[in-house]
Amino acid sequence: MASPSQYPGGFDPVSQRKNGASWESGAAATTGAALPLQPGPGGVSAVQEHLIPDIHREPKKAGGHREAGLFRDSIHFVERDGITHVISEDYSYKSEPYYAILNYEMRGKPVWPSSSAVLDAYVVPMCLERARLGGIPVCQWEISQGYVPLPSIIYGLNYFATSADFAVVRDGEKAKEVTGHVTNKGKYPFCYQKIPMDATIHTCVGIFGRTTDSCSAIAGLSRKVYETFAIPLVTMVFVRTGGSCLLSSLAPTRFSRISASEKALLSAYLAHQEFL
Amino acid sequence: MTRLGIFVDRKTMSNAEQLNALIHCRDVAEGMGHEVDFIFPVDISKIPRMDALFIRARTDPMNVTYVAARMAEFYGIPVIDDPASIRICSDKINMYSHMMKAGVAIPKTVFLAKSDLTVERVTELFDELGTPVILKEPSTSFSLRVEKVNDIAGFFAVARRFTRLSDRIVAQQYIESKYDWRVGVLGGNLLYACKYTIPTVTFKIQASVNGHVVYCGVESVPEKAVPPHVIRLGLDAGAAIGNGLYGVDIKNNNGDACVIEVNDNPSLESGEDTCYPRVYENIVSHLFAE
Repeated sequence: MASPSQYPGGFDPVSQRKNGASWESGAAATTGAALPLQPGPGGVSAVQEHLIPDIHREPKKAGGHREAGLFRDSIHFVERDGITHVISEDYSYKSEPYYAILNYEMRGKPVWPSSSAVLDAYVVPMCLERARLGGIPVCQWEISQGYVPLPSIIYGLNYFATSADFAVVRDGEKAKEVTGHVTNKGKYPFCYQKIPMDATIHTCVGIFGRTTDSCSAIAGLSRKVYETFAIPLVTMVFVRTGGSCLLSSLAPTRFSRISASEKALLSAYLAHQEFL
Repeated sequence: MTRLGIFVDRKTMSNAEQLNALIHCRDVAEGMGHEVDFIFPVDISKIPRMDALFIRARTDPMNVTYVAARMAEFYGIPVIDDPASIRICSDKINMYSHMMKAGVAIPKTVFLAKSDLTVERVTELFDELGTPVILKEPSTSFSLRVEKVNDIAGFFAVARRFTRLSDRIVAQQYIESKYDWRVGVLGGNLLYACKYTIPTVTFKIQASVNGHVVYCGVESVPEKAVPPHVIRLGLDAGAAIGNGLYGVDIKNNNGDACVIEVNDNPSLESGEDTCYPRVYENIVSHLFAE
C-alpha cells in the first residue's frame, strides 16, 4: 500500500503509519522545512526538486482520544485505491493540512480532498453552489452588506470568518447585533439564508460519507456530500422543515467533539477496517 | 449583445484612480460592442447571466472575489482572474512552488513551519540566505506583511507575528534594487511593461513610513526598451501559473533577472499601460475569445 517516498528527505507519511494503517503527525519527529538551495546566476536560486516540504508538529491531546491517535491538529494519511486521503480536523486555508494536500497536488499525486474542494467547502456560498450542482438540496443563499430577512441563518464572509460560526436570527435586534459583528460594522459582506419559521437546525458528522445512528435520517445526503467534496471528516449543518432537509453549510470537525460511535467509525477507516 | 460583468467592491470604487480605470475599461468594452454591468458583492447571483467576468477588486480565496470567480467557473463563464490563478498567486507558498516546479529563477527561498523557529535553524538560515533576510506571510499583497530582518531577534519577532496568520511562512534572500520591472502577461503574451521605482525610504513598492503611505513611482516602458530576457522571464513566470492576466515583478541586477512574485489582478490604474493603449481592448478580446 505504501508508495515510494515522495517527500523531501525521503520521508513519506504513508509509509510511516502506526498500527499498519495510518500516520499521525506526532508519530515521527521530522523537520525538513527548508528547501535545499541551488545557487543560480548571481546568487539567484531556482529550486526545482523540493516544493512544499513536509512539516509536522507535536500533537496535543484531544480529550480521551489518545488511543486512536486522534490528537488535536494531527494529520492522518490513508491510501485507498491509489488515492491518498488526508484526514484532519480542519483543512482551512494556509493550515498544515491544506499545505499537505498542496504537496501532493504539486507532485501530481492523487489526493482527496483537493485544495479546491476544501476552499469551497468552508466558504458558504461556494459550498452551497458546488453542492447544488452535485445534486444536493441546499438552502437558498444571498450575499448582503446589511439587509437580512427574518428568520435567517447568518454566516460571515471574510478572511477571518469560519463556517463553524453561524447565528440564527429571528428578530431585528438580534439581526442587527449579529450583522454588526460578522461584517465588522459594515466593512465586509455576509451570507444569509432565509429559513421558514418552523425550521430547525441539525448538525451531523460525516466520516468518509458515512454517518452513525444519530444521523441515519440524512445518511443519503452525507454520501452525496462526500461524493461532491471528498472530505473524510466534516460537520454538516442542515435546515429541516416539514419533510425537507437542506444543506446549510459544511464546517471543520474537532476530534474531541465527535461521539464514541463516530470515533470508532473513523478509527476503523484509519485502520483499514471500515468493512467490519 | 454580449454582456461583460466587471466585479468591483466599495473599496475599488472609492479610489479615484481605480474608478477612472474602470470607466475607461467600460468605455472600451462598450466600444467593442459589449454591454457592461458593474457587479457588486450583493449582485453575485447575476454572474450566471454574464458572458464574461473581469474581477477588479482585491482577490483572495477567503474573500468574496473568490466566490465571484468560482461562480463564473461553475457556470462555464470566462473569468479573469480565474479561481486557480487566485489560489496560486494569493498564497506565496503555492506561488513560489509553481515557480520552482517550472524552473523559473527566484531569489533563494525557504518555507518555514512553526517548528522551524529555533535559534539553530534561524542561524542556519542567515548563513544560507545572507543578511538581511526577507520574511513574507503567504497571503501578503501590496507589500503588506513583507519585512526585512537583520538579526535573529528581529527574525523571531516578525516570524511569530506572521505564524499567527499562517502555519507556514516564506524566508527569502534579499536582493537590492532601485526599481522592479513589472511585466504584464495575458494569455501567455506580453500585455505591457513598466518600472516600479522603489521609494528611497523603504525597500517595498508600498509602505507606511512614519504614518504616511509611500507609493512607488510608475514608468510605463515600451516593449523594445525592455531587456528581452526580462520579458522572457515574465512570460515564463506567467505560464507557470496559468493562461490568465498576471503582473510579474522582476529584479534585474547586472543581467541576473529573477522573479520576486507573480500577481493576479495586477494594478492598471497608475499609468502602467501608458505606452500600451490597447491593454483593456486586449483583455476584453481575450475574455470573449475563451
